[in-house]
Parts: sequence; C-alpha cells; structure tokens
Amino acid sequence: MIATKDIAPAERARSTSFNEASARTRLELLLDAGSLVEFIGPEQREISPHLKIFDLPEQFDDGIVIGHGRLDGAPVFVAAQEGRFMGGAFGEVHGAKLTGLLRAAREIGTIPVLILFDTGGVRLQEANAGELAIAEIMRAVMEARNAGVKIIGLIGGRSGCYGGGGLIAGCCSALAVSEPGRIAVSGPEVIETNRGVEEFDSRDRALVWRTMGGKHRRLLGAADVFADDTVQDFREAALELIGSIGAFDLDRLKAEQVRLADRLRRFGACEDAIDIWTAEGIAHAEAVPELPADQFIALANRIGRASRDAR
Amino acid sequence: MTSWQNNRVARDARIAAGAALARGKVVEARDATRLLEAVLRSGDRVCLEGDNQKQADLLSRALLAVDRSKVNDLHMVQSGVVLPEHLDLFDRGVAKKLDYAYSGPQSARIARMLFGGKIELGAVHTYLELFARYFIDLTPHVALIAAASADREGNLYTGPNTEDTPTVVEATAFKDGVVIAQVNEIVDQVPRVDIPADRVHFIVKSDKPFFVEPLFTRDPAAITEGQILTAMLAIKGVYAPYGVQRLNHGIGFSTAAIELLLPTYGERLGLKGRIATHFALNPHPALIPAIESGWVRQIHSFGSEVGMDDYIRARSDVYFTGPDGSLRSNRAFCQTAGLYACDMFIGSTLQIDLQGNSSTVTASRIAGFGGAPNMGADARGRRHPSEPWLKAGAEADPDGSALMRRGRKLVVQIGETFGDKNVPLFVEKLDAIELAEKLKLDLAPVMIYGDDVTHIVTEEGVANLLLCRTALEREQAIRGVAGYTDVGRRRDHAMVARLRECGVICRPEDLGINPLDADRSLLAARSIRDLVRWSGGLYAPPSKFRNW
Repeated sequence: MIATKDIAPAERARSTSFNEASARTRLELLLDAGSLVEFIGPEQREISPHLKIFDLPEQFDDGIVIGHGRLDGAPVFVAAQEGRFMGGAFGEVHGAKLTGLLRAAREIGTIPVLILFDTGGVRLQEANAGELAIAEIMRAVMEARNAGVKIIGLIGGRSGCYGGGGLIAGCCSALAVSEPGRIAVSGPEVIETNRGVEEFDSRDRALVWRTMGGKHRRLLGAADVFADDTVQDFREAALELIGSIGAFDLDRLKAEQVRLADRLRRFGACEDAIDIWTAEGIAHAEAVPELPADQFIALANRIGRASRDAR
Repeated sequence: MTSWQNNRVARDARIAAGAALARGKVVEARDATRLLEAVLRSGDRVCLEGDNQKQADLLSRALLAVDRSKVNDLHMVQSGVVLPEHLDLFDRGVAKKLDYAYSGPQSARIARMLFGGKIELGAVHTYLELFARYFIDLTPHVALIAAASADREGNLYTGPNTEDTPTVVEATAFKDGVVIAQVNEIVDQVPRVDIPADRVHFIVKSDKPFFVEPLFTRDPAAITEGQILTAMLAIKGVYAPYGVQRLNHGIGFSTAAIELLLPTYGERLGLKGRIATHFALNPHPALIPAIESGWVRQIHSFGSEVGMDDYIRARSDVYFTGPDGSLRSNRAFCQTAGLYACDMFIGSTLQIDLQGNSSTVTASRIAGFGGAPNMGADARGRRHPSEPWLKAGAEADPDGSALMRRGRKLVVQIGETFGDKNVPLFVEKLDAIELAEKLKLDLAPVMIYGDDVTHIVTEEGVANLLLCRTALEREQAIRGVAGYTDVGRRRDHAMVARLRECGVICRPEDLGINPLDADRSLLAARSIRDLVRWSGGLYAPPSKFRNW
C-alpha cells in the first residue's frame, strides 16, 4: 500500500481537500515544496495566557501558523488558522502573531500576504484581547495595503470565516473561496438566537450555504475567485490573484463603495439568495448549489459581480 | 348454544359504528378522533404504528384527543415509541399498559415514566419477538397504520418505508381486528398494492405527509481517523480471514467507515467480490461508493432512508423494488434474513463488560432493543453451512466432530475505547444491571449477550473471543483491547502477551496495519457532497446534511 507521504507534493496538493486539511498541511502543500519557514513556531510555546484559567487545553502555536515561503519561486508571507483548535478563534497570542506578520509585510512593502482563514471569530474566553486583536489586524491590513502589499484571503476551511474573521476578510485586497467555505460576520446560530428561527433556520444547511457559502459569495462579488476544494486549486487561485490585483488608492476605495452601494440597491429587498441569482439573470437559479465546480466557475465568470477596479 | 364467532360479531359492530362517519372507507381528518371513539373499546390492545421511520402521527394525535370516559386503559403494542404523543397517551390515561421494542428519541422520558409508575410495562422486545407475539398473545384489536397513498377501495401503497405495516395488518385483519390507515393522499390508482383493500377498514387522509426522520445517514465528514483505524482492523482482521459475504451493519460511524473503505482499502487488499456482497441493511448512503464500484450484489432492507428513493429506483439490480420501481422494505422479513441468512453482524455499542455483554442502556435511558439482538445473536435454528460460519464454529470447538459441530455467527462489536464525550466503552458493570435493579425488572436490558459476541475491535486491536477457552482468558482478551480505560489498565500484562502470541489478540502491526496510514484520504467519500457525486446526482440528501 502506498502511504500518502510517499506521493509527490503536487499530486498530493491535487488530491488533498483544502476543507479537511490541517493548517500545516494546507501551507505545506500550497507553497513550493519545502519552502515554508515558520515564525514563532510551536517549539517556542507562545501559548494563550488566558485558557488555563478556564482549564482549557492550549496549543503551542495558539492555533495559527505564520511564516514565509515561496509560491512559484516568488516570496510570500503566509498565515493559516487551525480551525480544529477552538474553531480557529482569535485570541491574544493568535491575533498578535498575525498583526506582527502584517506589520513586517508593511515594512518590506513588496511581498504579498496569504491569509488562510478558518475561524468562528473571537474566543469567548479572551474576548477583550480577541476583539482588540481584530481591530489591530484590520488596521495592519489597511496599513500594509497602503504600503503596496497585496493581501489575499483564502477561505475554504470547516469553521468558515465568521465574526472578526469576516471583518478582516472584508479588508483584504482579494478573496478566493471554495464551495464549503463560508464568509459572514454573524453565524447562523447567532442570527437564529437573536432574530428567531423564522428569520433564519440554522439547521437548514442548504439555507446556510446559499446565504453564506462560497458559491453565493462568489456570485455576489464578495469573493473574486472560486476554487475547487483542493489545496492545488487554492494555490492556483492565489497565483492568479497575486498577478491581477491592482494598486490600492483612493479611487479604488471609492469604486468599492460604489460597488457595495449598488449591490445593496439592487438586492436589498431580496428574501433569499435564489432571488438574487434570479435577478442576476441566472436561468434555473435554484440549481446553482448543485452545479459542479467547472460549470459554476464558467457561470460565475460570466455574471459574477467581482470588479477588478474595486476593493 | 356456544357461539364461536363472537370476535367477528364484535368486529362487525365496531366497523358499523365507524361507518357512520365514513363515506365508503374514507373518513375526514377532522373526524379521526370520533372514528377512534366509535371503533375502540376500553382496554383494547392497540398497535399505533410507530416504525423506525414511518409514523402514524395524525392518528397518534387523534387518539390522544379521545374522550377518556369513552376510551381508556388501552394496552399499546407497538414496535416504536418515537413521538411525544406516544407517551402523552399514558400521561392522559388513554393508555395504561405498554409492550414495545424501541424508544430511541423518547428513551429518557420513558425511563422516568416507568419509574414513576405512569406506564405498566409488559416487556421490552426485539422486533421479531414483538411481531411473533402479535400472532400469539398480543394480537391487536385495532391497528392504526400509516401509508403513502390509498385508492377508494382501500388498497394501500406504503411507499419505500413499508417496514412493519404488512406484519401489523396480517395479525390484526385476520384475527377479527380493525385496521385504520392514515394516508398522505387518496388516488385513483395506487402505484402498487402493498396492503390489499380487504384488510383495510377505514382510511383517513392526513393534511400533511407522515413524519419521516433520516436515521441512517452518517456524514462522512464526521468520521474520525480513530474510526478509520478500527474499520481497517475489522476489514483485514475479521472480514478478510473469514471471507464474510453475507452480513448486517449497525448504523454507527465505525461501520460507515467500513462501508467507505471497501472501494479503497478493501480494493487494495484484493477483497472485492470476496467480502461484503450481500446485505440485510437499510439503504445507507455511505454504501453508495461500494455499490457504484461493483462490490455489492444485493441488499434487503428493513425500511428506507430519506433522499435515497431515486438512487434505489435506478439500482434495482441491488435493491428489492416493486413493479412501480420504488423500494419495498419489510422489517419482519429483513430481521429474519439478518438472523438466519447473514454470517456476520458488526455494530457499535455504548458499554461492554468483562464478559462481553453489551448494552445501549445508560442510567437514565431505556432505548429498547430494536433489531440488534436478532442480528447480533447466534441463530440456534440455523442448519445451512457457509465458510465463515463453519470456520467460526471450528475455532470455538476445535476438537468437536466436524459433522456434528454447530457453526457460529460472527458477532462483532466495534468502537473506540473512549466514545462520545470521552466516555469509556468498557465497564466493570453495565448500567443496565443497575437500572434493572432500580426498576425491579426480571431481566437486565442486555443488547447483545457476551456468549454471542465473537470479536471485539478497538483501535488497540482485534480480540477473537472464539479462541478463548476459559472465562479468565475471555476477560483478559477484552481487557487487552480496552486501551487506557480503567478496564484496560487493569489487564494482566503477561497473560495479554500470551493471548497475543496465540492470536487471540491481534494488534494493528500484527495485521500489517500502520496506524499512521489511517487517514481520511482513504475514505471513498469524505462528505455528503461526495456521496451525491458518486450517485451521479441520484442521491438527494436532506438539507440538514448539506454543506453547499
């Protein structure tokens, strides 16, 4: 029997589900083979100062891997959240590592940053520190972009990209998302708890995905590229975005404002994602969730509202 | 003069009383309670069809609403106590006594009500036992059943979830009982006749389709590497050496992992066609990749599963289907098939003791037995030989005469040493025994008796209990695969080592399995989405299982 470790890296990247892989596996297979160099790795044991108070297990990397590596030979900074540790939630150390990475990118100014989001938001157990971290990261993202850094979010993990993660994603230069990936601020259960099951039934997973899932986000233009759920597809998506992101300036921010205002005007009254897709002129909109990746990508490229001038 | 047809006269009187509310056999839903008041007599034995999946929910609500002065002290004889209304009947005093088989979703409440004396318990049965008693001493006076559609004569189409209906109707209609069916729709012609009209006395059209729960769908995304390892051990350590072709699977994640490893790991081991070809099994979505890869020749089912209808229809070579193309299931026949025509049962449980007895009862829950005890028991009446059965028999009794020796069914318990919420699988004393003491039951509710269990598979290895010659060896074989549970840590290391030397215990390395190879990439499908893809879009999973 062939063990997975004996298969060539590119072949592994093609056969490994991004959704299922750990943060480390995602980075290992996303970057050029052997190129990842980690900052503040688990051997340094920078653990959360808060979790032990709650008698909760810590992780030596506090649930995020940061470092640098190469993508098709060119240098990149990378950060990957581990969705299997506390749902990838932001804590004090976790957040500080990402902030530091973004500030380093700002200082250098030319090396793009890939953020592999996989998060439910802020850790409840260190809420104040986590919320502060979100604010710091958002600022660091904008400062880095202002210094000329391209910042790309890759979203396809099991925990999705929720809460503060959704806010940070909204600040990035561009996003790539896969079908199981989800992007939002309030999660399904939060909406149901606050607004009632009539407003949003969190157990209706088809509803959850057509409201927050990768396909809808791509069609709305919230994500720029749709990737099939393999690490190789995300690698190619990252390369495509690095090559296509334009300069960041006031005109771009204004274009983004116009894009969002237009979206709200056109779809603000829609009750369901299917109404939006129908309004976009998609025939058989109800069949969108069932479309295989290649057909969906063709559809999204035809009508997807991503604008290369905005963001 | 002695009358020998009192029951028939009484039945005709009941039907006449009900007929006043009916047009032909059809009664409006709003008159359902009045119909029941007309037909039922206090103290009747009533089967309120509660299957695994198909629930006579409208009739349950109608029965709950009867005037207690007219109808009370009923004796409920039904396989499944599933809906809250099934127990509300006892709270209201409409019903008094209960004989049943399974109470999954109501297991906590039924335990409280038994303890509080609200319910007079006859017995908790296995399905086959209760069905058997329908024909001997628990024959229903009235059966309240559920079907998908009826024509105006009363021919019923049950849909793919035929389940218990033919058995209940057989016992009731042919022994002077009254059969009342709730149906989702009344049509000119039913797609096929599952129950002939002359066995059905009244039809009530329900305002909404009967309740069906997807009970057998296991999301591959939730299968852990520990479960994959136990599945690899089972395939290589039990399925392969015995050549198990005819079998029944439980409904847990460990057996779902086995189903998903057949086309990958099983294929690499060269086992296709040699194992897992004929099943007594519900239409598990997790089996789709194995079916599509040509592993599975035939499946007979107890009931159906939500979302599988189109797939089954398109794969009639594998499933039993009617002339209309849809699945025909039958719990009584499938239970019999599992008992007599399968060489192996493999399933998970919640607790295993030092003798190998297992139980899904915990201190506060009585889930009942359902079908597992029939699947997971040696069939003493079996007479046909097969290779796995003879091999297991020879292992248990190597010195006996080959011509006189009984074969043995393989009864395999599979699970991780620490289960859900890190609760240990192995215990010194079953909670079932404490419960029996508390409720003063004659029998502790044991799901599978230790003397029927032949193998236990955990991530630590396979224990072959057939090869144990003494109670002490058996206990140490069980401790020897119980990992770091208290039971496992109290093992006699020297004896466990000896048992390993003589092949009673096989560790992963003894079977040539590297635990690090137990990776999710081995699963033929890693998500519900993958299952849909395997099915060519024919499987339509319910929304709660989607992530797209």
